[in-house]
Amino acid sequence: MSEDFSPNPKKWLAIGVVGLTISFVGFFVDTQLAVWSYLIGLIFITSIAVGMLFLVMIHHIFDAEWSVIVRRQAEHYISALPYMGFLFIPLFIITYMGKDQGILWLWMNQDAPLHGHGTVSTDILYQKKTWWLSETFFWARAFFCFAVWTYFARAFRKNSFTQDQDGSPNHTFSSRKHAAAGLILVALTWTSAAFDWIMGLEYHWFSTMFGVWIFASAMRAALSVMLLTCAFLVAKGPLKGILNTKHLHDVATLAFAFTVFWAYISFSQYFLIWNANIPEETFWFNDREKGIWWPISMILIFGYFLFPFLYMLQFPLKTNFKSMTFMATWVLGLNLLDVFFNVLPSLKDSHGEPFQLFSSFHNIIWYISGVAGAGGVLLWAYWSSFLKTKIIPIRDPRIRDCLNHNH
Amino acid sequence: MGSSNPILDEVKPAILKEVDPVDIPRPALVENNRSFSWITDKICGIVEEKTPTWWWVCFIIACAGASFTVMGLVYLVATGTGVWGLANPANWGWAIVNFVFWIGIGHAGTLISAILCLLRQKWRTSINRAAEAMTIFAVVCAGIFPVFHVGRVWMAWFLFPIPNANAIWPNFRSALLWDVFAVSTYGTVSVLFWYVGLIPDLASVRDRAKNKIRQVLYGIFAMGWRGSNRQWSNYEMCYLLLAGLSTPLVLSVHTIVSFDFAISLLPGWHTTIFPPYFVAGAIFSGFGMVLTLMLPLRAIYRLEDLITQYHIDCMTKIILATGTMVGYAYGMEFFIAAYGANDFEIFAFVNRAFGNYAWAYWIMISCNVISPQFFWFKKIRENTALVWIITIFVNIGMWFERFVIAVTTLTRDFVPSSWGYYSPTIIDIFTYLGTFGLFSVLFLLFLRFLPLMAMAEIKVVTPQADPHNH
Repeated sequence: MSEDFSPNPKKWLAIGVVGLTISFVGFFVDTQLAVWSYLIGLIFITSIAVGMLFLVMIHHIFDAEWSVIVRRQAEHYISALPYMGFLFIPLFIITYMGKDQGILWLWMNQDAPLHGHGTVSTDILYQKKTWWLSETFFWARAFFCFAVWTYFARAFRKNSFTQDQDGSPNHTFSSRKHAAAGLILVALTWTSAAFDWIMGLEYHWFSTMFGVWIFASAMRAALSVMLLTCAFLVAKGPLKGILNTKHLHDVATLAFAFTVFWAYISFSQYFLIWNANIPEETFWFNDREKGIWWPISMILIFGYFLFPFLYMLQFPLKTNFKSMTFMATWVLGLNLLDVFFNVLPSLKDSHGEPFQLFSSFHNIIWYISGVAGAGGVLLWAYWSSFLKTKIIPIRDPRIRDCLNHNH
Repeated sequence: MGSSNPILDEVKPAILKEVDPVDIPRPALVENNRSFSWITDKICGIVEEKTPTWWWVCFIIACAGASFTVMGLVYLVATGTGVWGLANPANWGWAIVNFVFWIGIGHAGTLISAILCLLRQKWRTSINRAAEAMTIFAVVCAGIFPVFHVGRVWMAWFLFPIPNANAIWPNFRSALLWDVFAVSTYGTVSVLFWYVGLIPDLASVRDRAKNKIRQVLYGIFAMGWRGSNRQWSNYEMCYLLLAGLSTPLVLSVHTIVSFDFAISLLPGWHTTIFPPYFVAGAIFSGFGMVLTLMLPLRAIYRLEDLITQYHIDCMTKIILATGTMVGYAYGMEFFIAAYGANDFEIFAFVNRAFGNYAWAYWIMISCNVISPQFFWFKKIRENTALVWIITIFVNIGMWFERFVIAVTTLTRDFVPSSWGYYSPTIIDIFTYLGTFGLFSVLFLLFLRFLPLMAMAEIKVVTPQADPHNH
């Protein structure tokens, strides 16, 4: 590691704390939007961490060699998963123990009025869904999700970091076994999280594809963060002379593949609902065509799919740190917009119309604080872990192949 | 940032001195340190040897089998589609089931060639040729069913948007028409991909030919291949481009096949997860069929050094992974049916699992979700006989999946008075079983006349091809 590079995790913790504090203030000033923004930030940052967990598992299950040094960075990011669990506690307090139970997930408030047809408790759809939409069960599921993710994150980190010390091949074997089981369990828990945290915001709506969609979304977010991390660490020195353009090209190609995959999943979901044209499904997309959500959906099609697709088709751009830094920033920004697109229109104004992104200028304060709070914690966790370990897994069985990567 | 190649302008970082990898060697892709000439002799030998007796026995049986399809189709054309067991509301029966079954089988070949090529999975080299051949033959078998389901088969060309005297255009909003485009594109690109891969190996067979006719015929198909540097570099680029083109096709074909069902409004069919779920199922069944074919060939031709235990491990693990994904999709369908709280949807799924066709549903679950779980165990993966038996279950299970989807929904439509029990006729059964004969005839001819494995590609992944250990 170069001498003059000394990251300061506390700086990021400070940003996180400031973000959380502003969100906390927002809770008293602009309660509903502050809580929704907080949820958006939390989902966005958690999806990055879960995506990183998927990357680690995919690496192990394929016994890949090119990604060994990249995997080490993902191992730092997944250390944030338990903290994300802690950041869910305020939502637990507000919705489970507080008075404003329906503030986020409307179904949690039995007395919440539904536009045009009674209250939640008299809603036939709610009555038929109570077996799943139960608050205790909901929070038990959330707890279970974080328990699973934390368990696997710890297992992979422990195996990898211990191997740096003792050089035992058993850690690799253990990680492979964990990856096989983890892929199944994390896929299921991440699906359940998507159903609960996002789909459940509009509990009338349902789509079997939603779990696959959130997987694609998490992978795109994580790969963008990975590209930024790689470019940053090469520029600042720690990975200079270690991570070369071939590695960058591979991460970028993976990001390209998931660009297409995301488009495939999102298109299929939209197309099948649009084509069938059943009101009980289409209303979700109809809400997302109202007001500002219409131009945003166009931005998602052209900016979040088409532009990155055409951009990353090009070999010279995929092998250039600067151009990939731009693209990763772009994709990450639009990934956040996609989370907004999926979450925020489920919040309804007093007329039952979807909430508009910029209904008031100061909304943006809560948006930023929501993302900064969780994001600061993520980067704090990353840098804290980064400082404690070797920059690359020096005893990994495939490390030499990875360093000589020249396909 | 800045520099595009940090390695050149940087002294080696200190951490690199500490690098000391643990030794977990990768399994060899060609065992027993076989030489290049051994590989050529082995693969070309299969084409050059005198036709073995077992081949003739199999070929005659396969021809006899295929004749059932021929007779079934002749009878159908002469009489009408009524000879199949289709009856309102079950207007789709075995024909669509068989079509989707064979198209699904046809996915492994291009997946192995294209996607695994892009993923740099070198083990694909031993199996890609045979899998691609299988793909093409499966598409041929698949095509029979929709074409003959048209009834007046001489009018099947109306499916293409060809301007004609009556100005009749196909319905562009029908997924069945998209199938025409998707499947014909897929078939064309698969043949092209397969043929491009064959060229260097055809040249090898040509160069070893002992008689003039053989030399000329293989020579024509080898297109004057001389193995020059320039030819190889063009070839590699062409192959990579075809791999890139084929990759979306692998996904698109079965996506569109899934649309045949999913764009309808029927409970059990209209669900958003269908596209990736069908693709996963197709890869699952395709790999099942690859192993079903390759394991006996491996034993007959003593190919253990080329199709190693590692290859079998990889394929069984893909079957395990895709089988589990299919299981995930089954789970999601049920979950959303319950969560969506639509009575018709709930009924469709309860009916699947506990209704008239519950037997088919549970065959499907046992074969597709439970049977691949045995591949978690190394002992089972190493027992070729058991692996082969499980792949047979996979094939059976995937046929039943399509049967369950098509038939349970159709026989329980929105008008209970029209509910019934769909059964195939003897013509259905023979026409379908005959396609296995047709498939086998084509595959046996392939074995006899074309190199079974991509020799040139296998040589690249041998240890000898990489003397400096890069």
